[in-house]
Amino acid sequence: MVERIKAELGATLKETPVGEADYRERGYHLFAEVASADLLNVARFFDERGFYLAALICVDYKEYLELVYIFSNHASLCKVKITLKIDPAKPVAPTISTVFDCAYWHEREIREFFGVSFDGHPNMTYLFLHEGIDFYPLRKEKIPVSDEDKKALGAFRPGEGEDTFFVNLGPQHPSTHGVLRVVLKMDGEYIEDAQPVLGYLHRMHEKMAENRSYLQFLPNTGRMDYLGPMAFNLGYVTAVERLCGIPVPDRANYVRVILTELNRLSSHLMWLGAYLADLGALTPFLFVFDDREEINDILEPVTGSRLTYCYFRFGGLYNDVDDAFVAGTRAFIERLRSRFSLYEKLVGGNVIFTNRTRGIGVITKERARKQAVSGPVLRGAGIPMDIRKSEPCAAYGEMDFDVPVGTRGDALDMYQVRIREMENALNIIEQALARLPEGPIMTEKAPRKLKPPKGDLYHTVETPRGELGIYIVSDESDKPYRMKWRVPSFSNLMIFPELAKGNLLADAVAILGSLDLVIPEIDR
Amino acid sequence: MVCLGERGVCLEKEVFPVKFAVVEKVLDLARANSIWPMTFGLACCAIEMMSTAMSRFDLDRFGAGVFRATPRQADLMIVSGTVTKKMAPVLVTLYEQMPSPKWVLAMGNCAISGGPFVFEGQYNVIEGVDLLVPVDVYVPGCPPRPEALLEGFLKLEEKITGKRRFPGPESRW
Repeated sequence: MVERIKAELGATLKETPVGEADYRERGYHLFAEVASADLLNVARFFDERGFYLAALICVDYKEYLELVYIFSNHASLCKVKITLKIDPAKPVAPTISTVFDCAYWHEREIREFFGVSFDGHPNMTYLFLHEGIDFYPLRKEKIPVSDEDKKALGAFRPGEGEDTFFVNLGPQHPSTHGVLRVVLKMDGEYIEDAQPVLGYLHRMHEKMAENRSYLQFLPNTGRMDYLGPMAFNLGYVTAVERLCGIPVPDRANYVRVILTELNRLSSHLMWLGAYLADLGALTPFLFVFDDREEINDILEPVTGSRLTYCYFRFGGLYNDVDDAFVAGTRAFIERLRSRFSLYEKLVGGNVIFTNRTRGIGVITKERARKQAVSGPVLRGAGIPMDIRKSEPCAAYGEMDFDVPVGTRGDALDMYQVRIREMENALNIIEQALARLPEGPIMTEKAPRKLKPPKGDLYHTVETPRGELGIYIVSDESDKPYRMKWRVPSFSNLMIFPELAKGNLLADAVAILGSLDLVIPEIDR
Repeated sequence: MVCLGERGVCLEKEVFPVKFAVVEKVLDLARANSIWPMTFGLACCAIEMMSTAMSRFDLDRFGAGVFRATPRQADLMIVSGTVTKKMAPVLVTLYEQMPSPKWVLAMGNCAISGGPFVFEGQYNVIEGVDLLVPVDVYVPGCPPRPEALLEGFLKLEEKITGKRRFPGPESRW
């Protein structure tokens, strides 16, 4: 696959060379630098070959701005980094939102954080930031936003139409799970258009990353996705380990798997309760919290916290697990297995629930690829892609589990995929517990002060919500030069406007819930 | 003896000098034992707030488990998370929509002072919700444990009625 793409891309680009990168070190196989005239052709090239746009990143190198496009493939592992250099004094780039729909949102983000304007983009308005901001936050130097740009960025007004009106879903709405705002253009009870407005919980994680050392940034990862902090922890820790070449002992890898899966269970349980509460059933909420507390009881003595865990360290773990942990986890597996039949009776076999969710929010494979959705939403749409399988980190490569997929791609499929994923997670934990090796939990080779070699890395892990991509640029100092988080909920939310279109308002809530969004992760 | 003015009971001093001291006390007791919080989750702390309301910690024991989805029926706003500059006007609107008497509980370090998100050059976080609305009780933690939030509720009761429901914890330091 990689060889074939290299040859074909080389033929398309003609003059510019296509380089081959060390996948183990860099996280991508091929790279090429293109001119802005070629960019659309390159995007079409990848579109024809079934690639999706995993991430769109901007890096400010002072002398020039660099746009980084990461293309990836669902069927086989092949990642390509395409870069485009632009002039910082007059930053303009062509849009590729006509080819990959998800670029629409990434380009808006880059516009407000870096001031890069995209030629041909239909809507260059503020998505994250408040309108009072007067500089581009992620530029290395303080560049003021000109009045002209301010006018353009603050131009978001939901368009008017005959016989239509607007409903603001959020920012304070129980079923948006936080502070998401969606402006719905309504024709009676039906939705004509939906525009998410983000940034109500933008906590500047990416800016913070540039201000602190690698270790100091570690607690932030738990606050980004508060329902699945272990997976974010794992992603960040493995990314930095990969960048610096720090080895991890076997026992630590197994414990990492067990804890990440336990956390995945607690995240999916939370989703189950919240989703049904959205649909009007409050009872499951009480049941799932009962189970969640059991997980907290297991994790708390080991990690020291109940929610925003910060447990993994570069090269190992903070604390070793003991026999009580192992016994507690085994007991919990038994307990949750018996609870699944209860959930099945209460929810899965409930006619009200199945009729309410069947056939709404249908995602086709093609749309899933174009919008770059990931995780259970992607698998619900029928694409068997799991990063735990395709790019296993920690000890996932030694675990035996299947990847559940949906057949219809509707909200009910998302439910079934998540339930089966929970069963899988129990199996994974059981396997890891059975094989848990003895030994040290921390490598002795971990340097006290991390100074990764110069270069960049795109590292992905599977979080409860999907593909988390971390792009780190290191300049050999102890702080990251740029850190971009490609977060799963952000990509999953992008598909919501087209799913909501033509649906009832009540169904929009059911669709939004099936995507399992965590807002701080979207806003970062 | 109740003096009825043109628009019902008039409590203005010049017209009606009597203070309903006992009635106020009874009302305060009723208020303290039925605090209805608003369903208003901002960030991570919201999950701990939900945990507090669920079966293990059972906020209902203190009459405060009736979470209302609208500010117009709520007595207490639990600010559970980081308040950003974009969220600030929304939060103030919500506060103003609540009927008096109303209270605000700042839950977690972010709501108290901006928490871990205060650094040089920060551009998006309000450093403490008390810059926007008056806060009655501060519950520190990142996030606070459910027990801490319960203690916050007890403190609020103490503030309303003037006495504490349970004996307080012994001071160790």
